[in-house]
Amino acid sequence: MRRYPTLLLSVLFWPILLPAATVLMGRAYSGSNDPQAIQAFAERAGTSEVTGFVFVGYAMYMWLSAMLWGPGSALRTEQVRGSLEAVFLTPTSRLVPLFAPPIAALPAIILDFAVIFPAMWLLFGVALPLDAMLRAVVVAMVGIPALYAIGALFASLVLRYGEIGPVVHLTRGIFVLACGITFPVAMLPAWAQIGSAFLPPTYTVADTRAVLLRGEGLGAVAGDLIFVVALTLIVAALASVVFRWLDRSARRTGMLGRY
Amino acid sequence: MYELRAAIAIAKKDLKTFFRYRIAVVSQIFVPLYQGVIPGLLFGASFAVGGRVVGLEETVGTENLAGFIFMGGVMSGLIATGFWSMAMGIRNEMDAGTLEPSWLTPTHHETLLIGRALGGVVWQILGQTALFAIGIAFFGLRFRTEILYAVPAVLVAVVAMVGVAYLLAAGVLLIREANFFIDTTNFLFSIASGTAFPVTLLPAIFLPVALLLPTTYAVDLLRVHAIGQRPLFDPLLEWAGLLATTALALFVGRWAFKRAVRVMRVRGTLAQY
Repeated sequence: MRRYPTLLLSVLFWPILLPAATVLMGRAYSGSNDPQAIQAFAERAGTSEVTGFVFVGYAMYMWLSAMLWGPGSALRTEQVRGSLEAVFLTPTSRLVPLFAPPIAALPAIILDFAVIFPAMWLLFGVALPLDAMLRAVVVAMVGIPALYAIGALFASLVLRYGEIGPVVHLTRGIFVLACGITFPVAMLPAWAQIGSAFLPPTYTVADTRAVLLRGEGLGAVAGDLIFVVALTLIVAALASVVFRWLDRSARRTGMLGRY
Repeated sequence: MYELRAAIAIAKKDLKTFFRYRIAVVSQIFVPLYQGVIPGLLFGASFAVGGRVVGLEETVGTENLAGFIFMGGVMSGLIATGFWSMAMGIRNEMDAGTLEPSWLTPTHHETLLIGRALGGVVWQILGQTALFAIGIAFFGLRFRTEILYAVPAVLVAVVAMVGVAYLLAAGVLLIREANFFIDTTNFLFSIASGTAFPVTLLPAIFLPVALLLPTTYAVDLLRVHAIGQRPLFDPLLEWAGLLATTALALFVGRWAFKRAVRVMRVRGTLAQY
């Protein structure tokens, strides 16, 4: 980011403008906060704080984007640059290039949060209590490995398919639709709600909203957090297995050097 | 006549290249659906009381949520064509190394953009038809037959977007690495035109900017005719605003494009990327 300053502009621009536009859409749909419409929203979303709901959702969106486009496509970047073969020839475990790049995405994620919540306060006057923010940090810390695992799973697909941009695009879209990022999960059809219950971001975003907007304690979301940890272990194990399998396949087909 | 033939040839070339990438064609239909339409519909429906979006009716005078979103999508798609297909297309030629040879042909430089606009409009018609068909079949999209009265407004908006594309292309030629510039300005232009929500909800300082954009009037006229939305101003006044801002966009855009071309000739930056 230091070398490419326009990246910093995008970190400042999107986390503010995307949720702000959605909040204004919410105002249009609610008749500028008509009490009946807000009551209806609260019954479906669990909170009447539309601005907070949208901003927390977009924080998760930024997070997902950073993980899927950064670490999720890190192996692809190495492949395009022609350095993937060289990296794989070093004595380092091959799981390192799979699981290490997410660390580089952490500062960007923290920066997103550092921008998005002050923007919510400055633009819409919604201030969050400090203790609730600390609880949200704990929820986020539990959710981060899950997103690492999802990113790693996508990264491994590079070894088989090369260009994974469209898949990442589609997957981000599915997460946005299924995980309650821009609208309440209750609005989805029943079959889609069952599917969303197996996606870690659904719990992370719901629990973040619970602690930030409803003032719930960590005890109230502990069950969800344990489930997220379990899902993380499953996805990470799956990523390792898929990666090893595709690595063997790439060696046989010579896919590693092609793109 | 030669210029028209050149513009049609450019449009054909663009469409031929576009349709070669079938996944990209399909994604051009589905990305707006899952990124804009479906989240917008479900977010809007979450405010519904007894199945009616009373809040939207209070804001714009109609509870036709699907119509409101899809009509916004028409203008949003048109704006994206102006930004990405016309203006950013110059950058793509730069990357491919074909900008210099194109520039050296006897075709007028402005025709290069007109050709791209033609190709973009053809794709827009095909894409929007597919989106409307999906909307009618799966998302309860309904609109009035009076939508036909809005067709001239949309056509004028196409001309306006050519003017805007000239202006943007000038920027792209000068700054070269323009991805972030186009991405952000496309978003801001679309939001300020009222494609996602009425411009009356914008902060007061942005409202004059919105009223300077031809697409603000075009999207409002489209919604007024198609779904019976309450107009921002008297429709005659909106027509006057649309025509005046379109003329302004064309004048400023062409002037900026000519200036940029001249600057590039002086600095010799056409081949740089």
